[in-house]
Parts: sequence; structure tokens; C-alpha cells
Amino acid sequence: MKIKKLMFVTKFENLGYDAIQSLLSLRKASLEHIVFMNVIERDRVAMQRGVGYKKEEAVRLKEAANIRFIDWAERLFEQGMEVGVYIQVGSLAAEVAKAVRKEEADLVVIGRSHKSAMEQFYSGSTVTELIRRVSAPVLVYKPIPESPFAMGKPFERPLLATDWSPASLRAIDYLINLKALIQDIRLVHVADQKDIEGSSAMQAQKTRKDTKSRLEDLCARFQAEGIAARAHVYVGNPASEIDKAARECQATIVVMGTSAKMGWVERFMGSTPQEIAEKSLFPTLLIPPAMQ
Amino acid sequence: MGKKVLTVDDDPDVRLFTTTVLEEHGYTPVEAGNGEEGLQMITSENPDLVILDVLMPRQSGIRLYRELKTSKAFAGVKIIILSGIAKKTFLRSQQALTEFGESPVPEPDFYLEKPVDADVLAETIRKAIG
Repeated sequence: MKIKKLMFVTKFENLGYDAIQSLLSLRKASLEHIVFMNVIERDRVAMQRGVGYKKEEAVRLKEAANIRFIDWAERLFEQGMEVGVYIQVGSLAAEVAKAVRKEEADLVVIGRSHKSAMEQFYSGSTVTELIRRVSAPVLVYKPIPESPFAMGKPFERPLLATDWSPASLRAIDYLINLKALIQDIRLVHVADQKDIEGSSAMQAQKTRKDTKSRLEDLCARFQAEGIAARAHVYVGNPASEIDKAARECQATIVVMGTSAKMGWVERFMGSTPQEIAEKSLFPTLLIPPAMQ
Repeated sequence: MGKKVLTVDDDPDVRLFTTTVLEEHGYTPVEAGNGEEGLQMITSENPDLVILDVLMPRQSGIRLYRELKTSKAFAGVKIIILSGIAKKTFLRSQQALTEFGESPVPEPDFYLEKPVDADVLAETIRKAIG
């Protein structure tokens, strides 16, 4: 699970060259190729009564994106990086998924979704859509001014939130491959409030101790690779507790596994990875389960 | 049949433009949409000249240029770089790759920055392969 090729998907609103610069630290972990992608949403140039397909607008938007990408590409080429570009008209998740398959990208970087709650209800969030369609991990990047601890080194202090799912355990292998970039890692499990409600203080402590011991077994895997690791147990709503843990640990990124199988359930109920990706100030790396 | 010229560019408009110029001047045009396809076409079509873009999906022109210049099999293939990427960037990138331990490659004989005039392109092709 090396990151040799990264696909950087941007609408230029909040994901610019500063984000690429901070991701260049991944060169220590084999990054050699960045593919830029801009998707012009079909609605912006779609057929409209009396206007038809707005071809000139599509050309204008494509050229504007191309000018931006040429400038970024020149800077990366000069550093010996390999660079590619896609500018497409269509639906974001579908076009990105197509390009990721074509390029065999190892990581997809996108900005936070700007869909309204109603749009998300009908069409799902872009992050959820993307996770469902691609087998590569997805990094939802947050600009540095939003994320107080990132400071241009997003992989320096990751917080891995685990629910013991196969995908969250897969995230361990993924992070071990990034060991050249990691200073120390925090592992967090958020226990369900129900697990300790109504039980005695002794029973609640036992739950905490068992969970922590399980986390410490995972910490040992990182320590064996020379990465400092520490375990933390939180209780309550997973999304808000993970966000709280990230702040308390001064994490630079939140890493989570995602099932991505129950899209329609997520649309009604929401999911923890989606909530963190969309609402938290921390960059969020979502690791899908291994392909069957 | 005129001399064979391969255009490697992901932009279909650019391929249409070069194809038109080539046909008007009696050459035989062939096309590829990215560096990987380009390399396959060079092997199968054995062109006299390659008009090569730099910024493309799958494999950039910088990589393909390097492959062509470091392989004896392609030593006779002439290359014109036709790109929106500045020539100095192209040269610096090749220099950076050499600094990272890859073999040095010579500068391209012909480098045109987009957009290019049809007459200038035709004249450059003539200089490259007659």
C-alpha cells in the first residue's frame, strides 16, 4: 500500500497549491506522481431552454482550469515529480472514480463537500459517493488555517480511530507504510455509552481496561516499526469524541476505516467517517476495506 | 505516402490541428492520447517524427522523452516538443531527474510553446525531417 501516485481533485475554491506543498512530504513515502483533476459539474454547462449546451462556457472553464494546472505542474516538474492532468465535464464522483481506475492512483485527495443538507439527502455526500466507487483511500483535506495543528505536515501526528472493523485494521498497515513521516500516533476507540450505562463502576472500568488493552496490542505493532504510539479510550458519540480526541492529542490528521457498503443507510442516518470528513476541522483520511 | 509523424497529445483539438497541418504538407499523421499510448505507437508505427506534448494523463511527455532518448531502439526518431509547459521548466525537470540518479538526456532539438502558428509548426517539421 505505498503511495506512489496521488490524485488531487480540486475546484480551486479551498484546495490550492499550498495543499499540494504540504502533501509533498509524501515523497519520503514513495510519492512520485501527482495527477490533477478538475470536474466541471454538468449543471454549469448543461442544456438549458433557449440556450442549449453552453459550449463556450465549458471551453472557458476548461481553459481556466488548465492555466492553473500548468502553473502548478511547472513547479512540480521542476522538482523532478511526474504530473498529469484531467479536466472533465460531468458528475464529480463518477468522473473521479473513472480517472482513479485509469490512473491506478494510490490516494485521492479532495476538499470538503459543499453540498447542502438537502442535496446530500438526495444524492449523498461526495465523500460517501467516492468511497463507494473507488478502492483507493480518500483524504479529505482541510486548508491549514482551518486545521490548527497541521502546520504543513499532515502525517506527523495521526490519530487513528478504530472500531475494530476490517477497514480500520487495514488502516494500520497503511500508516505503517508512512512511518518515515510519522512522529507519533494516537489510537482511539470510542466506547458506546450503552456499554457502561447501568453497569457498576467496576464493570465500567473493566470495559475501559479491556478496550485499552486491545488498543495497546495495536500500539505494539506501530512500536515494533519504531513509531511511538499511545492508546486512548473515549465514551459517547463517536464523531464528536473523535474530534475531541484529535484536539486533545493535537493530531494533524484523523484516520478511519470505512465500510461504504450501506450508502442508503448513511443517507438517512449519517455515518461517523462522513461526519468527521464533512464537519471536523482536521484533515481526514478514509481507508476503504480491501477489495473482495 | 509521406513521412510518418506521430502526435502524442491528450487534447483532441491539438491532435486535429497538427493532423491538418501534416496532411496539408504531405505527411502521414498518426495519433496517441497519452505517453503510454505514444510509446506503443512509436514501437508499432515506427514514425519519422514525434510531436510530443508534456502534460498528459498516464505518462507525461517528460518521461516519454526520457525513454526515447535513453533507448538505442528509438535513437533515429526526431522529436518536437509542443506544450503549454515552458521550455525552461522542461529542462529543469530533466535536470532534476538526472540529479536523482537517472541518466542525463540531451536537450530537445525543437521546442514550441502552445499556442503555435500553423506556419511555424510546418516550418519546424520541415527542419526536423525535411
